[in-house]
Amino acid sequence: MPVATQASLKGLTYEQLEQTSCRLCLNNTYHLGLKPGQETLDAVGGAHKLQGWDHNILTDSGGFQMVSLLELATITEEGVRFLSPHDGSPMLLTPEHSMSLQNSIGSDIMMQLDDVLVTTSPDAARMRLAMERSVRWLDRCIAAHKKPETQNLFCIIQGGLDLEMRKECCEEMVKRDTPGIAIGGLSGGEAKDDFCRVVETCTALLPDLKPRYVMGIGFPEDLVVSVALGADMFDCVWPTRTARFGAAVTRHGVLNMRNARFAHDFGPVETGCGCNCCLSVDKGGMAVTRAFVHHNSAKETVGAHLLTIHNVYYQLNLMRQIRESIIAQRFPDFIREFFGNLYEDTEDYPTWAVDALRRVNVDLIK
Amino acid sequence: MSNSNDPAPNGASKPTFTIGTTTPSDATDELCPRLGTLQLPGRRTVETPNFTAVTSRGVIPHLTPEVVSKYTSFSSAYISLEDFLEKKDHAILKMPTTDRPLHAFTSFPTHIPTIVAARRCPSVLAPGGNTAKNISIFTSTGFSTITVPKFAATVAHIRPDIVIPLADLLHISLNPSLKKKVRMADRTESWMDEFLELVNADVRESAGIKVFAPILPIDHATQWAYINHLNEDLSGDLAGLAIYDVNILPDLQLYKNLTSLPKLSLDLPKTPHDVLRQVALGVDLVLASFVNVISDAGIAFSFTLPTDGDIPTDGDAGAIRPLGVDMSETAHATSLEPLLADCVCYTCTKHHRAYVNHLLHAKEMLGWNLLQIHNHHVLSVFFSSIRTAMGRGTFEAAREAFGRAWDVDFPQGMGERPRARGYHFKSEVSQEKYNKPVWKGLEPGQGVMADV
Ligand SMILES: [Zn+2]
Ligand SMILES: [Zn+2]
Repeated sequence: MPVATQASLKGLTYEQLEQTSCRLCLNNTYHLGLKPGQETLDAVGGAHKLQGWDHNILTDSGGFQMVSLLELATITEEGVRFLSPHDGSPMLLTPEHSMSLQNSIGSDIMMQLDDVLVTTSPDAARMRLAMERSVRWLDRCIAAHKKPETQNLFCIIQGGLDLEMRKECCEEMVKRDTPGIAIGGLSGGEAKDDFCRVVETCTALLPDLKPRYVMGIGFPEDLVVSVALGADMFDCVWPTRTARFGAAVTRHGVLNMRNARFAHDFGPVETGCGCNCCLSVDKGGMAVTRAFVHHNSAKETVGAHLLTIHNVYYQLNLMRQIRESIIAQRFPDFIREFFGNLYEDTEDYPTWAVDALRRVNVDLIK
Repeated sequence: MSNSNDPAPNGASKPTFTIGTTTPSDATDELCPRLGTLQLPGRRTVETPNFTAVTSRGVIPHLTPEVVSKYTSFSSAYISLEDFLEKKDHAILKMPTTDRPLHAFTSFPTHIPTIVAARRCPSVLAPGGNTAKNISIFTSTGFSTITVPKFAATVAHIRPDIVIPLADLLHISLNPSLKKKVRMADRTESWMDEFLELVNADVRESAGIKVFAPILPIDHATQWAYINHLNEDLSGDLAGLAIYDVNILPDLQLYKNLTSLPKLSLDLPKTPHDVLRQVALGVDLVLASFVNVISDAGIAFSFTLPTDGDIPTDGDAGAIRPLGVDMSETAHATSLEPLLADCVCYTCTKHHRAYVNHLLHAKEMLGWNLLQIHNHHVLSVFFSSIRTAMGRGTFEAAREAFGRAWDVDFPQGMGERPRARGYHFKSEVSQEKYNKPVWKGLEPGQGVMADV
């Protein structure tokens, strides 16, 4: 899922986003709650109508953004307390308020408010409190959800890196029988090994027929390994944010288009790519060269738009290739091809990926 | 982009500009608005009067080439060479292509003709000014200079459809002394000769380049010798004129070999009223840089030309109509209306005011993108109405009605502008900071709102 934080994807028209094959994108509840605000969302008729997007929208609960953006946010049993970035007045985001906001947004998938701690927090007691509180908040969210027939509420598994706590949380959350399940709290700081252990521990306990969403994940290797570990959906700001800094995501790794070596490179951003930026004119594309992206990167907004189109297409196409290889029963081969394209030598493969894949019977170094 | 409508045969020597029926009398004799068509090899036919859109670094600001191709219909694009001269060996000079390198490098839609001049429009004043051999330019890495041979070689290589050769323009003072004005005319004349020798008829024929001669923004008396030279000796080499000050148009009527040439105005209009005045003076193409400026200000155009001269009766009949509506005003926060009633542009058919209002408040780039689509569209419709009125013989009545019904100026947009880069403008002493400081947390210790 590409992340359209404030109900738009970084300068792309919705047709351009649609052409990347995107059918589900993420809006941030916290941002939409501030601008345009709940009153406007109600008046306009929700986020789909606001942005003219007739495909799916997923919204986060607003809690994670608040805790990560506002240092002064404090969490109590009632909810997340913070100072309004508008006028500094004290505000409170409760599970009930998060549901009300997400009902106003009208997202197809909404997330419960959870008590998020960084997974690397050493405070085990606080971690347990956060995990148990997240379960209690799910109950409050379910009770407060006004449109369960049209909007799907996903629970979020917490518990940091403590696998026993994660198991306990899975068990409690699964009992609530939400239409989908997210694995939360994993966005960065932790070691990749720990990340993989958490994902595989959770997916082992989750029902087969419910989507499993690992939140905040977006590096291509993470996506491929997480699917192998049993996850289904992901979101990340990285592909679009990195586009604005001039970086192109390709099957051979991330290329910084601002680098002088691309100034005279007249190839497409990625050879063989099917995005509208890279496709030749006779195939309906723009035939944009690396040299032109270099020429306008960080100079004209169009430079960022072009790479955003490419990067979003890359991510969605990667997931499409994964799905096709699973259907064709050749997913392990696909994983080997994927790592083979990304690294010159098998010795360069990240150990965490080799180990995690070995645990699900995929040998990368065959 | 290959949806070229009516591609013309590749005969570069065929007449490119045809003057159609005009009123009240034959346009070649008297100063009056005129209808025409401009046909460049391989490009979509341009009906005139029309406007030329202004690019920055080879792109219409905020619009990817596919958006330009699908959702705009402007006649031609102005591209400044200084946007490609920050390095000695810029990639555009090495582009391996059988097509025109300028179109290919910028991925510009191939049905749209390109017009190249040395400087951006408006251009940044260069402190050094020009010398007899070196013309000052301003690139993204700072001031630099270019000579006529370098300019000629670059143009012959990148192959724009139309080139405006170097002119000794007012790059230092806006009000030069007579001595300087005389020198401007002399230099421009000799640069013109030098350019036409280097990019001679054979080069132009094989590269498919047409030349629009610059007419300087100084009085006729000071540059008559230069213009006379164009008229007497060079008219066969010229495909048009680039007018830097439209007030000279009455004087140009004296030169019979020049009257039938298309006239592109680089005397930048600020409003549709200015546009109508220029068209009335016989301008065929208007460089509309104000579209980019007004879009960045968060303003949606809201003007139409009443072709029959009747002021539209909707709304408050007596009230002065605004030329544009500030989409950042909170009044639009929940409005599901299009930016302009009955507008058929992509923005107005797909979105509403509430969304554009939200995007401007959230500083999301799509807001300026959608405004650019709408504003370019409204101006295209405006020009189409100009041509319709001229065909019906009602242009003067329409212009008069427009002058009475619409406000003299655009509203001041209160929304945030997109971030400006150094090459967009040059800050001058005591000028207000263009880029406001980014928003910080209100409380000490409170985190900065990151762009997530
Ligand atoms: Zn691509
Ligand atoms: Zn419109």
